[in-house]
Amino acid sequence: MLHKYCWLTSILFSLVFSLETRAEEPISSADLEFFEKRVRPVLIEHCYDCHSGEERSGGLKVDSRHAILKGGDTGPSIVAGKPDKSLLIEAIQYENRDLQMPPEQKMPTNQIADLVEWVRRGAPDPRTATPDDNHEPLAGMSIEDGREFWSFQPVTNPELPAVNKSDWIQTPVDHFVLRSLEQKNLTPAPRADRETLLRRVTFDLTGLPPTTEEIDAFLADDSANAFEKVVDRLLSSPQYGVHWGRHWLDVARYADSNGLDENLAYGHSWRYRDYVIDSFNNDKPYDRFVIEQLAGDLLPDATVETRTATGFLSLGAKVLAEPDRNKLDMDIIDEQIDTTGKAFWGLTLGCVRCHDHKFDPVKQTDYYALAAIFKSTRTLAESKTGAIHHWYEHSFATEEDQKKAEEINAEIKKLTSAANSYKNGLVTELRNRTKEQAAEYLAAAVLVSPQMSLVDMERVAEPRGLHPRILHHCRLHLEYHQDDPFFKPWHKLAAVGDPSVVRQHYESLFAEMQRAMDAAEDKKAPLSDERLEQARLAVNDNSGFLALPAKPEYVLTDEQIAEYHRLLDVAREFESQAFDEPAAMGVADGEVAATIPVHIRGSYKNLGQPVAREFPEVMRMSKSRPIFPEDGSGRLELATWATSTEHPLTARVIVNRIWGWHFGQPLVKSTENFGVLGDQPSHPELLDWLAWNFMDRGWSIKELHRLIVHSSAYQMSYHHPQFEQCAAVDQENRLLWRANLQRLPAEAIRDAVLSVSDRLDTSLGGKTVPLRNRQFVFNHTSKDHTKYDSLRRAVYLPVIRNNLYSLFEQFDFPDPTMPTGHRNVTTIAPQALLIMNSDLVLDSADAFAERVIAASSDSESRIEFAYRAAYGRKPSADETRYVLAFLGEQSAQGEASPAAERENWSVVCHGLIAANEFIYLK
Amino acid sequence: MHDCELHSRRHLMKTSAAGFASLAMAGLLASESRADSSGPTAAIPPQFPARAKRVIFLFMKGGPSHVDTFDPKPMLDRDHGKPLPFPLPEVTFAKQGNLLRSPWKFRQYGESGLPVSDLFPNVAKHIDDLCVLRSLHGTNPAHGGALLKLHTGSDQFVRPSFGSWIVYGLGTENENLPAFLTICPTLAHGGVNNWGSAFLPAHCQGTPLGNASLSSSQVGVKHIANPELSSRAQRKQLDFIRGLNQKHLERTEYDTALEGRLHSFELAYRMQSSMPEAQDLSRESESIQKQYGLDNPVTADFGRQCLMARRFLERGVRFVQVTHSDSDVQWDQHGNLYQGHTKNAAEVDLPIAGLLQDLKSRGLLDDTLVLWGGEFGRTPTAQGNDGRDHNPHGFTMWMAGGGVKGGYAYGATDEYGYYAAEKKMHIHDLHATILHLLGIDHERLTFRYAGRDFRLTDVEGVVARDILA
Repeated sequence: MLHKYCWLTSILFSLVFSLETRAEEPISSADLEFFEKRVRPVLIEHCYDCHSGEERSGGLKVDSRHAILKGGDTGPSIVAGKPDKSLLIEAIQYENRDLQMPPEQKMPTNQIADLVEWVRRGAPDPRTATPDDNHEPLAGMSIEDGREFWSFQPVTNPELPAVNKSDWIQTPVDHFVLRSLEQKNLTPAPRADRETLLRRVTFDLTGLPPTTEEIDAFLADDSANAFEKVVDRLLSSPQYGVHWGRHWLDVARYADSNGLDENLAYGHSWRYRDYVIDSFNNDKPYDRFVIEQLAGDLLPDATVETRTATGFLSLGAKVLAEPDRNKLDMDIIDEQIDTTGKAFWGLTLGCVRCHDHKFDPVKQTDYYALAAIFKSTRTLAESKTGAIHHWYEHSFATEEDQKKAEEINAEIKKLTSAANSYKNGLVTELRNRTKEQAAEYLAAAVLVSPQMSLVDMERVAEPRGLHPRILHHCRLHLEYHQDDPFFKPWHKLAAVGDPSVVRQHYESLFAEMQRAMDAAEDKKAPLSDERLEQARLAVNDNSGFLALPAKPEYVLTDEQIAEYHRLLDVAREFESQAFDEPAAMGVADGEVAATIPVHIRGSYKNLGQPVAREFPEVMRMSKSRPIFPEDGSGRLELATWATSTEHPLTARVIVNRIWGWHFGQPLVKSTENFGVLGDQPSHPELLDWLAWNFMDRGWSIKELHRLIVHSSAYQMSYHHPQFEQCAAVDQENRLLWRANLQRLPAEAIRDAVLSVSDRLDTSLGGKTVPLRNRQFVFNHTSKDHTKYDSLRRAVYLPVIRNNLYSLFEQFDFPDPTMPTGHRNVTTIAPQALLIMNSDLVLDSADAFAERVIAASSDSESRIEFAYRAAYGRKPSADETRYVLAFLGEQSAQGEASPAAERENWSVVCHGLIAANEFIYLK
Repeated sequence: MHDCELHSRRHLMKTSAAGFASLAMAGLLASESRADSSGPTAAIPPQFPARAKRVIFLFMKGGPSHVDTFDPKPMLDRDHGKPLPFPLPEVTFAKQGNLLRSPWKFRQYGESGLPVSDLFPNVAKHIDDLCVLRSLHGTNPAHGGALLKLHTGSDQFVRPSFGSWIVYGLGTENENLPAFLTICPTLAHGGVNNWGSAFLPAHCQGTPLGNASLSSSQVGVKHIANPELSSRAQRKQLDFIRGLNQKHLERTEYDTALEGRLHSFELAYRMQSSMPEAQDLSRESESIQKQYGLDNPVTADFGRQCLMARRFLERGVRFVQVTHSDSDVQWDQHGNLYQGHTKNAAEVDLPIAGLLQDLKSRGLLDDTLVLWGGEFGRTPTAQGNDGRDHNPHGFTMWMAGGGVKGGYAYGATDEYGYYAAEKKMHIHDLHATILHLLGIDHERLTFRYAGRDFRLTDVEGVVARDILA
């Protein structure tokens, strides 16, 4: 590395030197001629397509002297006079597999020689600068400009702005919302009715619909603080943490399996999920929450809980079978930096692996300064299963646990080998039988042709007690090995068309071979008779003419296959439910790398200057440099810095998301990008005020909820009397003149379906993924054993990367490999198929119908009950009439029976679930 | 929100006449399968004249050996058993032995005289329609990484699959069917990421029909049929729901999202009948069924996939992937090369030939791009005495139809077939070329996500212009 560093420096020196001294020198006519005849045409032919004019692949242009000396992203392309130090020469020589130009193929040798000679001569070049040479390639903001950019400026504590309609103010946030509206001459929508408000806040805080009892209680409570009581009830319900914990799990790209190349179960990631849910329920201060996730293992008071929190850094998808360990390490670090940057600071740091940020004030040195911290962190364990790396885990196992786990491991092995030895036994049996029938196979092969279908093959094979696929293979083998001396006689004899002649020939050959083998002293030594030795080799070659099909399905009978699969299933079932040593995914400190070199274009094979551990420059709040421990990774320092109240981004980024999760629209739409390409805040002062007060109130998320849900802004109706006028000014409702229409997230849709049918199990916590740690979700097979029929809340359903639960996938569950602070909402036909035809909805509609029928004997009351359960409101008279009419039509068609009645109500209940109001909140 | 998707909607649409109309429809699902419908999946004109309108990708999972199929290497015969005379890559998947000659003979076929091994005697008859790409190379030597690289262009991050980029770029010709179907895909080694749409709009994702562990006779779209209600009863229920929604709409302001959801139910209802119709192979004549090998258990499974694929293509599906994989890694012959490749080729050779023939006789081959290949090739060096290791450094894929030169071999590997050597074609170049054939400039098909404009080809990709007919 050091060597590489010096080498680069020397390039820089010689570059400066050569530019200054050579720029003035006129080019000799011989050099000029050489350039025009031997260099320019070659550059034009091979390089200009991608490296001239507007085209500057890799930041490099070669169409002027200035440009070629200046070079591209990897530095100067040539060093005048020094071909062996010139990247351009290295590239065209095609010696370095990671740097080859032109990419399609090597240039002819003579042209390479010419360019080498040209550089050796000092790269004399008459080409003056082209107009866009001074056009610097797109470069990010400077650090100085960056500090002026809104999101990197210190958080302020703005004054509450004055408003006209002051009776609208319920909490301070209303000042900011109302002022923005008044500036545009807009008025806020009136307050929503109580039923709507209750439905809104109950889904918002717990992800569940209000029960009919809760609706009754709230409507009956006419005290002034009735709504406050509801909010307190919801915030203290453990279902709050289930719902809000899930919001954070989106950001933490939570999953129960690795995904990517090898989909192994994250059998312990549920502990992190439960940690997150508990943290929300306990209103853990957000700064502490961040510190625990980045460095919980390093805290002086580290516990099982705080170590579990570091699962955040380990949950990413990893290319576990990557054979290049260096690349794997840097890929994992990249994932950690990218996730940390997006989750906590709303910055896209992943781009900076290869080059300075093209837009934001973040340099490649900033990236590698962070990378050094993660390089000093252990994310992978040293153990592997075959080619598959294991991730690091904090073990909480007692000796007893370990012993138990070992016993279980042995049991799993026993069960698996039981299946395999059953199969192998049968295969060996068939193989031996086949060898005994060798002459018969060769004889039968006379009667078949290589093109014959398997069905026809069976007609010949079965009466002779032969295996049709082996016979088919045998015939093909004969076709491909006509010149083999062992098979030559076959082709000769087969031409006659009489199998018995062939049988006779080979039977006697094999008998002779057997006698020779019996007589031989050394049973393993080759037979001296070449002809007999050929026969011995041919019969015993497992991939020869008697080869068995590779798939057990083709070797065994249906019954045998069924038994083999049964044994495999027994092993798999046992493994899925088997005890695991208690452990949590997480990270620990590893060997400390105080510096690591910049990886040019992101490749560890191309190293630049070393950088020491540091925080990204644009976000440094203090002039004094942090001191990183010599014996630790520096993650604790990173976490402490990230949660300083002076940090410009940490608080802004999280309050923005929380606002978005409440309103369906964050203040800064690009929740993971507060950089130059991100969106500007709709209410900049409000964002700052929220961030400041959030920190001021001890980073309490529940306090922030109260501030928001008690505001008039939150309690507005979706309906606005001057809808047209408002929409004309602000169609997107960025200024919040009314409530947004929000579609429920996937989990809430599913939980609501179970809730209205009274099937939902609201118990909390524990392992729910039906796989043992590191068990394959699918290995090379594609069998999907994951079940989603649990009736627990959706947050407890397995999140299998590469194979999400179809309801999640259809309803915009975020990709569990990327931090997501704000979900998409799309409407596609497969959602409708799922709502119309899935067991989940059909079974729930039946159960919902049972409830509705049990509620009353009178149809109108039943309809009222169904509407209140499904939509949280009473039906209008018109709606009641409509449903009654439909019921009437339905029952007119069939006979009247209790079963038919249930069926008709089920169709109605299914309709209510499928209709828009069920999944759209006003 | 709905509008996120619209703001960054197909870059190319900004210049097309239909663009503004589409924007105004704000996330609506078109209700008809008309070409002029304007939902998010509606057909969009290409950026420049397209040679191909649709793609079928015949994916051979596990990595078929190029030196045993379409890239003959006489030097392997000569130097069989000797060590490779130049260095191995820095990272190899497993330990490799000496050079191993191909157990198959190559013969010349057609007017072009291009050689094909005895593994593909039927495909070989169509050699004059094939454009054999002999200089493919990728980056990842493991199945998972290589599958992801081939399907998405990235083996490190979750990115949209190239099928979903194509749907994003071109929409579909038939909105009663999914725009992108993948038949019997493998759930391992990247699984759904290989047909997922990642950050692209959800309608761009591939719809799987079954998976690699299921017989192609049992596959279908999830939730495509209602187990309880007859079609008529369901129609009545849908009308009932429509009424509920209209009453809800009366209580809310006009909202495109709610309107869009109404349409999605209608579309789903129609899909319930159009999907089974398209999948129903009994509507094909006996001779066509035979042409695809449906009468032979060896070829029937893959033949059914190919025939189903043709029916989808014919009905306007933009991108169909057909995967040849069993519950093992089908073409992955680390050992048992001779037998494994013999069996694998026997399963696909006739159906592929049947498909080419069928597309041709229906005039579909002209504007349908057929792509064949695996995630990598195999080493010319041996693993054991009858096996080959993974080789992403040089391998073969082929194209047919869709505006490529037939009977043409593009690029070359070195004399032993280890590394791509001439006219090298990286996976990114393959993607750029496929998009080009479809009339899309790979540098202009972008999607803004998390503050960055993403491309299928990232910052790479060169169109292989030599192969354009």
